[in-house]
Amino acid sequence: MKKIITMVLLTLSLSAEVTKGDNAVAFKLQTLDATTSYSMDDFKGEVVLVNLWASWCGGCKKEMPEFFTLQQEYKSGFKIVTVSIDKSSSSSQEFLESVEKELGYKRPFIALYDPSKSMPKAYGAKGMPSSYLIDKQGVVRDVIVGSLSHDDIAKLKIKIDKLK
Amino acid sequence: MQYIFLVSLVLLTGCSDALVRVMPYEKEYFAQDKMSLSPLAQRAEQESHIFLIREASAGGDSSFQGGCGCR
Repeated sequence: MKKIITMVLLTLSLSAEVTKGDNAVAFKLQTLDATTSYSMDDFKGEVVLVNLWASWCGGCKKEMPEFFTLQQEYKSGFKIVTVSIDKSSSSSQEFLESVEKELGYKRPFIALYDPSKSMPKAYGAKGMPSSYLIDKQGVVRDVIVGSLSHDDIAKLKIKIDKLK
Repeated sequence: MQYIFLVSLVLLTGCSDALVRVMPYEKEYFAQDKMSLSPLAQRAEQESHIFLIREASAGGDSSFQGGCGCR
């Protein structure tokens, strides 16, 4: 009987996905240039937007400049953490540099690299890009699947201000 | 009975969404240009023009195309 219960639990766990009210996934990842590593604990007491992206994903590339401007607007209390799942970190790096060139300033957010795709697997990401708004207590408050438009960012700002 | 239950469970696991479906974060190769049905934009436009001529249909695909093929 124990075996059956274990198998049922395993089966159910395969389709697990993080939704509103769940705890944020704990991670320890390095930055794209592999100089610093960050974990979820580093952002305790801050509102965080975790964005899962890749340079091969059109929607991810489209919304990226919006994150540059969004982070510029929040100097404290809110952090954007982008997590690239590219095959090589250089392609993510190249793309971010092209956006930096276009906008004329360095990226103001933290760009992490997840070569094993552990984050989208743990979050059970249903699309690319996927973004997760996490409150100060580390609880997921919003799950956004797909590219964020300028209007979506405006709505997101209201949620961030409420959580701050 | 227990055996049948286990076998059916294993079979159902095989149909699990996570095992069968290519997950969104695994679609790197699908996103490549060569995976597109019409990888060349110019060629796709030409093909669509020829299609419209052949069908003798009114435009509506992308630009001012009528059935005459005389664009």
